[in-house]
Amino acid sequence: MLIEIRSLHRIYEVGEEKVHALNGVDLEIEQNEYVAIMGPSGSGKSTLMNIVGCLDTPSEGQYLLKGTDVGKLSDDELARIRNKEIGFVFQTFNLLARADALHNVELPLVYAGVRHEERRQRAKDALEAVGLSDRMKHKPNELSGGQRQRVAIARALVNRPSIILADEPTGNLDSATGEDIMASFERIWKQGNTVILVTHEPDIAAKARRVVRMRDGKIESDVRTPSQGEMARP
Amino acid sequence: MNLRESAGMALAALRANKLRSFLTLLGTIIGVMSVIAVLSFVEGLNRFVSEKLLASGSNVFYVDKYGFITSQEEFEAVRDRPDVTIDDADAIRDGTPHAQIVIAQGNTQVVARFRNKEQKGVQLRGRSAGFELVDDYQIGAGRTYTDLDDQRRRMVCVIGPELADDLFGNLDPVGRFIRLGSETYEVIGVTVAKGKLLGQSQDRFAAIPMRTFVKTHLERGSVDISVKSIDQASMPLAQQEVRNVLRARRHLRPGQQDNFGITTSENVMQLYNTLTGGIYVVTIGVAAISLLVGGIVIMNIMLVSVTERTREIGIRKAMGATRKAILSQFLVESTTLSVMGGLIGILGGIALALLAAAVSPLPAAVSIPSIIAGILMSGVIGIFFGSYPAWRASKLDPIEALRYE
Repeated sequence: MLIEIRSLHRIYEVGEEKVHALNGVDLEIEQNEYVAIMGPSGSGKSTLMNIVGCLDTPSEGQYLLKGTDVGKLSDDELARIRNKEIGFVFQTFNLLARADALHNVELPLVYAGVRHEERRQRAKDALEAVGLSDRMKHKPNELSGGQRQRVAIARALVNRPSIILADEPTGNLDSATGEDIMASFERIWKQGNTVILVTHEPDIAAKARRVVRMRDGKIESDVRTPSQGEMARP
Repeated sequence: MNLRESAGMALAALRANKLRSFLTLLGTIIGVMSVIAVLSFVEGLNRFVSEKLLASGSNVFYVDKYGFITSQEEFEAVRDRPDVTIDDADAIRDGTPHAQIVIAQGNTQVVARFRNKEQKGVQLRGRSAGFELVDDYQIGAGRTYTDLDDQRRRMVCVIGPELADDLFGNLDPVGRFIRLGSETYEVIGVTVAKGKLLGQSQDRFAAIPMRTFVKTHLERGSVDISVKSIDQASMPLAQQEVRNVLRARRHLRPGQQDNFGITTSENVMQLYNTLTGGIYVVTIGVAAISLLVGGIVIMNIMLVSVTERTREIGIRKAMGATRKAILSQFLVESTTLSVMGGLIGILGGIALALLAAAVSPLPAAVSIPSIIAGILMSGVIGIFFGSYPAWRASKLDPIEALRYE
């Protein structure tokens, strides 16, 4: 089992008030699943994503990533897990503005301690895989939105993580470009990766093979939707 | 995070905001610059002084009425001592086996004339025969005067080459007569040029026998005596012998203090070292203040930078940067920044020292240790004042940082 979440709670203290962002979540995700987490704003989907991405830790309950209890890890151990196991794709791309595409993609490898030549080669390969081999020396502000998101996808994949975690990856893109990006995720998933998508758009969620709906810090429904190809099968 | 990358990014940021970077670094630049410039001067002076003072005159000491005095109080205490006379010099010459040469001397300024040419402010030196050995001159033309010239109070002089040029032009001065003050002297020799010492010519003088000088210019008053010992090792012995001779001549009882002064180059060196020690303390103070200010400015700019780049820090943390990685990135940046300031300061300091050396008589020598000290100081400033901003950056919560607009 890749991800095992057991009665997970996340409580924020805002002044005197306690906000229950997650209120008892149980979730299991296997290797090579394609999951969309849906829900209105305030439903707790972002909090869940932060915890799955090891950016945040649970207040109560357990989160086991490949059997490791993430709640018990130090800041630096969390950083190492993020580096090794998680590839982030953000709505706002979150590329380093002053660095070119190649350097942006290299970043996870820098923190993984990969040597310079190998780093460079792997970053080039990753950019090639997303069709940006001619944009390696461009800075983010010299790239279109779709190109930026492809750089971000290359960056997410470059260190071969266990989970690709995408937070509203098409939120800042027009629908044609969004389709493009979603096609990339489909391909990545088919190559054997685990993809977790956080979105509030049903169209986007429909691309996934499993949709987890959240409301008020709880899982409302968890539906496996066979792909169009599978649906055609009897 | 590797060092080269952090340093490269810091330099890129420096280039991106040239004016801001320059203003940020001004304190460090001024601090390091003043240290380098002042230390260069002191180093130059040190070399100069020890060359001139110690090397040539290391076995010469001086006997006079007052000794080496540095304050009004000391002068009050010694002003009533008996004069040192030319007979004292003769007695010392006879009673000091470890003295190679003993010269009685006195100085004044006169007007020198030859035909219709006139030179004002010429240094007239009364010297016993053999002065060139103590004053370190070589005779270029003619001859020097002898003890016999001195005993007979002959009106002869040896002149410096600059005075010779000014008065005689292309004529050969030897054998001609010049007026020095109100008397006429025969020029019997010209010395070899020695050049300038602290901006003052050493070749614009006339030396006459000491007894002639006493007759014409020093009817009353005290003479000075230079004693050159046989070698460096016999300096203390020679001094003791001089002391014995003078104490006997002045009938001083055991226990009574000397009523004359003996000054060595070492005394002068000591005073000199006290002076330059003071310069060091002042420099360190000035540098410390400007480096403190420089450091605070760097801390401020790094805090601004951490805030501006909150999102970048969030991204790096999401990609797996540990706290140590973020900490060292910002430390390398602040250190790169301040070392850049240090380097500019070093160049500025060297330029300042060379400029001053070019337009003034002060010598300057840039010392390697002061350059190393400048780099080290600026590096320490960068690390020290960069650590708080870097610590703040490393403590940022990745979720908050990623959300920062």
